[in-house]
Amino acid sequence: MSEPSSIALDRRSFIKAGAALAGSLIIDFAIPLGECPAFAQTAPAPFAPNAFIRIDRQGVVTLVMPMVEMGQGVYTAMAMLLAEELEVGLDQVRLEHAPPDDALYANAILQSQTTGLSSTIRAFWMPLRQAGAMARTMLVAAAAKQWSVDVEGCRARRGAVEHAASSRRLVYGELVDAAAMLPVPAREGVALKPLDAMSLIGTSVKRLEGPEKIDGRTEFGIDVRLPGMKIAAIAVSPVLGGRATRVNERAALAVRGVRQIVNIDEAVSVVADHMWAARKGLKAAAIEWNDGPNATVDMGTVVRQLEEAARHPGAVARNEGDVDKALAGAAQRLDAVYQMPFLAHAAMEPMNCTVHYTKDGCDLWLGRRPRRGRRVWWPT
Amino acid sequence: MAFTVNVNGIPQTVDVDADTPLLWVLRDVLGISGTKFGCGVALCGACTVHVDGVPVRSCVTPVSAVGEKAVTTIEAVGETPIGKALQQAWLELDVVQCGYCQSGQIMSAAALLARTPKPTDDDIDQTMSGNVCRCGTYQRIRAAIHLAAK
Repeated sequence: MSEPSSIALDRRSFIKAGAALAGSLIIDFAIPLGECPAFAQTAPAPFAPNAFIRIDRQGVVTLVMPMVEMGQGVYTAMAMLLAEELEVGLDQVRLEHAPPDDALYANAILQSQTTGLSSTIRAFWMPLRQAGAMARTMLVAAAAKQWSVDVEGCRARRGAVEHAASSRRLVYGELVDAAAMLPVPAREGVALKPLDAMSLIGTSVKRLEGPEKIDGRTEFGIDVRLPGMKIAAIAVSPVLGGRATRVNERAALAVRGVRQIVNIDEAVSVVADHMWAARKGLKAAAIEWNDGPNATVDMGTVVRQLEEAARHPGAVARNEGDVDKALAGAAQRLDAVYQMPFLAHAAMEPMNCTVHYTKDGCDLWLGRRPRRGRRVWWPT
Repeated sequence: MAFTVNVNGIPQTVDVDADTPLLWVLRDVLGISGTKFGCGVALCGACTVHVDGVPVRSCVTPVSAVGEKAVTTIEAVGETPIGKALQQAWLELDVVQCGYCQSGQIMSAAALLARTPKPTDDDIDQTMSGNVCRCGTYQRIRAAIHLAAK
């Protein structure tokens, strides 16, 4: 890998903030996916009826997780939706994170492959059950065909298809080649299990990724390591719109392990072999800031601006009934103003980002384990 | 400057400044990433490791102060009876959520049980109050320490 060059990224040019979604900050890196180099997709499996399920000849069931696990439990919940309809036990599956692909993995409520707003189960309740049912339907049909019996007499259970009348049984691994030859049933028309037949959904199960979180194996965003990777420490202007007026690059470069200073005025980054060298370098740079046009803005200023803005008519998000009329005839009328201070929310890990900048594009690793991911989500 | 650190029973030589915290030696120089960076100023406990069995915040422990003492991290604490019992209890009670702080939680808990095999709630709260969890798993951590102590 070449040394990182001086990349003057104007973050406004490639971040679009989805601030319209109330109560949550969702930021989407709007790098067209097509511009990114094609990553090696997951290894081909004989049976992959949809983007969420792969089964190999050894019967290993891989479930592909479209949303990000951040402690909220969605890896377990999404796996339950798939496994319930696929008729496999949670002890029989392995999980894998989905590559970034809106066409395959978008959250229908958020309209993109974004995790947030407590929407995962609402958005994936049907799609994941349908995905599991599609695969199960094909595996059952493959077994019935092999045995020359009606599918009605066959039943899928714990990763195998059984035919009770003849006491025959085939595990999924033995059926994948035949199942892959069958037409994929339409998602909407596939038969789902009735709610009273659920054996996983509605139960309390242990977190599937728990074991790798108790012995240091889980790879968080901050743990991503690429060959030849350098570590940068960044100082950003403490005031929005400010700029660095003095940076002692010579002193920073004199720190052992420091490789490069990148100064984009509103932020200064010291690139080094490891974090300690980067942090020492940043301290040695003794940056002086000019706070710029917002130098005197304080909380009082911001509150006054918001109060002033609130006195003007705003955008109407929704209008139902006749509010003016209802208020005019109301027996009691309550007026209240609610104010929230700026709050630093509890991020899962210190803000960090791994960037691999090549002549073909830019790959980013952010948050928890979006392997190959190019999306960012700050939990709120 | 070259330092030999004894991490999980394996002596390894690193060439860093004397003031380099053990945390960055582990994570960035040796590539042992189970120990987590949280605050960098010994306030959150995410970086807790054992040095000769004593829990230390590796983010403020210079490599020069470690010498050739035995450093144990989350990757190897399960090889001790206490560490193994804690990890089993952690799974039994499904303690973790996001998991980021849990390496440090388990290392602090292991040091507590080594010193106090049957801790009271107060013992646990006093020792573990230095380990912050953004998911708020404190109640299950306390229950899991009691379970491991059985």
